Amino acid sequence: MSPYTLTIMIFGIGLGTTITLMSSHWLLAWMGLEINTLAMLPLMSQHNHPRAVQATTKYFLTQATAAAMLLFASTTNAWITGEWAIQQMTSLIPLTMITMPLTLKIGLAPMHSWLPEVLQGLDLNTGLIMSTWQKLAPFALLLQIQANNPTLLITLGLLSTLVGGWGGMNQTQLRKILAYSSIAHLGWMMLILPFSPSLTLITFITYIIMTCSTFMIFEINKATNINMLATSWAKAPTLTSLTPLVLLSLGGLPPLTGFMPKWLILQELTKQELTTTATFVAMTALLSLYFYLRLSYAMTLTMAPNNLPGTIPWRLQFKSFSMPLATTTMASITLLPIMPAMSTLLKL
Amino acid sequence: MTPVHFAFSSAFMLSLSGLAFYRTHLLSAFLCLEGMMLSLFIAISLWALQLDTTGFLTSPVLLLAFSACEASAGLALLVATARTHGTDRLQNLNLFQC
Repeated sequence: MSPYTLTIMIFGIGLGTTITLMSSHWLLAWMGLEINTLAMLPLMSQHNHPRAVQATTKYFLTQATAAAMLLFASTTNAWITGEWAIQQMTSLIPLTMITMPLTLKIGLAPMHSWLPEVLQGLDLNTGLIMSTWQKLAPFALLLQIQANNPTLLITLGLLSTLVGGWGGMNQTQLRKILAYSSIAHLGWMMLILPFSPSLTLITFITYIIMTCSTFMIFEINKATNINMLATSWAKAPTLTSLTPLVLLSLGGLPPLTGFMPKWLILQELTKQELTTTATFVAMTALLSLYFYLRLSYAMTLTMAPNNLPGTIPWRLQFKSFSMPLATTTMASITLLPIMPAMSTLLKL
Repeated sequence: MTPVHFAFSSAFMLSLSGLAFYRTHLLSAFLCLEGMMLSLFIAISLWALQLDTTGFLTSPVLLLAFSACEASAGLALLVATARTHGTDRLQNLNLFQC
């Protein structure tokens, strides 16, 4: 892809999300989502490969359908109440009709099955954009809708964490595992959205940090399935010792950053006297933890049997821009102590 | 629910169910998407006409422009799929089953 086209497309992705974030009118929000989708398509299919084209087609179909359903729901709202503003949704049926396409756009559980397949067809850089930046606009819309239906959101959240943990268990492809991990994390965010939107924001930020770190680690290792992770000790030894911590942070183990959102969410759910829901969602986190543990086992505790040729990558100098990798990795390991500051700063 | 509301809602739902359940050709999926967009065009323009909000009358045109962009992107993807997979049948989009 020529650099000029690439610049325009990346500008388009940023512009679409920004328009959606700035808008208070449903039509403008819809336009931002459309600009975002249309600018993402050439980035996804830039390597003219059958898998990339197929992933692009699936992405286009789901996103276009979701955008049309979103506009239909807001038009219905306008016909019923005469109101186009995002923050004044009062009628219950259009509210539900708007929540469903937004969850389709970010890939929550009943409408999740496009996400692993689309992510599997992309290279890791585009996958990074897909699983972080592309979630931002629909997520901002979900946060802005006031008085959403708690039963619906809790059901969606529980289903997502369950499906995300369960679906990732049988996978050997890293991008599919990351897609299921994304589904599970978004389930946690949906679960807490009716009670404390600021906790949703904290979860989203930590999810973005950890996902950026994981995608960049896999990008440096050029790894797309579990087997290819086993040679990473010869390519980047320091990174090999840090990666299990990042993965366990994604899984949510205590001294790491990923524990912070889960802790706060479980506490908030207990405060709302939803102890059954809290227990169930903590149990589904174990399912996710299983495949993160398997990834870290394959990466650090196993050695490739070919010792002599395996050391060749050691002697090569990797010229990669490592500042974002270092920042996000350290942030995804050590951010737990500043939890009070984060939860104070991010009050909505 | 007024008759106009019922008319565009049923048109939209018919196109949506066509998109969801008739899964043979990519082209028919795009036609169903186009039908959804056209029913939305009717809905928005009739809303503006019914409430006499002249300031809102540009938005149906904006909607049409965006749906045209979307349709052209879809047709480009149709060409790309035909070149890489040899056909536009949706059952050939199965490279990721594992």
